[in-house]
Amino acid sequence: MSLEIDMAITAFSGAAALTSLCVLFVMLGTINPYHRPEVPSLGALAVIFVATYVVSETHDIEFGLDALRFTLIEGALAIIRILPPAFVLLTAMLLRTSFRKRPEDPLLALLESESGSV
Amino acid sequence: MSPWALQVWLGFALCTIGIGMHRTGPAFSRHRFGAPVAMLGLALMLVHTHEPPEPEVGLVLSMVDSLWVAPAVFGFALVLMGAPLYWKARPATLLAGWPLVAVAWYIAYPSIAGTSLTDFLTALIALLGVALALVVFALCVRTAERMVPPEDETEPLTEREKRYVESVLKRHLGGESDES
Repeated sequence: MSLEIDMAITAFSGAAALTSLCVLFVMLGTINPYHRPEVPSLGALAVIFVATYVVSETHDIEFGLDALRFTLIEGALAIIRILPPAFVLLTAMLLRTSFRKRPEDPLLALLESESGSV
Repeated sequence: MSPWALQVWLGFALCTIGIGMHRTGPAFSRHRFGAPVAMLGLALMLVHTHEPPEPEVGLVLSMVDSLWVAPAVFGFALVLMGAPLYWKARPATLLAGWPLVAVAWYIAYPSIAGTSLTDFLTALIALLGVALALVVFALCVRTAERMVPPEDETEPLTEREKRYVESVLKRHLGGESDES
């Protein structure tokens, strides 16, 4: 496989694995009595497992903890590469937001009129 | 795995858990431990007495190179608080935010200017990976929710509950922040 395709597969799999790991950690941090985390946890673990397997096959690394670390780090590096374009986009959006006028909210206007009539 | 690599992963776990904790609860009353736990995690990732091994060292160096994100985040937060988005415009907050964004631009400009087409395409492909993981998670949540037997229809709100909901809406969406 060419280097570019290897890079693309690694970035895709790594980002998917890292996002699934984040999902697992967030579920851990927000656990509450109404949570049903079994199925989502299994789904996230399956994504991490498949992504690590794909990366280990692509880079000829033995499937295991080292392959998992490599996959997650490559995912994190790929996500960090999103930051500069995202920063440009966010700056443009916030420039627009800074100069916008706050729209009238019909729900709040209704509340005002109802409380005034009581 | 070396303890220094473990420290990076422990920091990552704490940082993500802290952000998750911070997002729980209503917008006007966030979890009090969320931000400190996230900051502790970030510190654990970045501060070392010994250089972490490969591949973790690549992530740490890349994060250090991306420290312009800190003024950008604070600047964006101030701009969002000052802009007429959630409540009336607050020009002082808005004016405090934009210089921070400008500082972030000054630091980040070499990275932005040095972004190649390959970097951009890799970032786009990584976004697809993120989207795939989130879609799988959403499908799993839907499956888990569908496994729960449906509950009986709830009673409508009483007059007292209606008044309470109305007061909450007025206090938090009434166009004035709590501080003003």
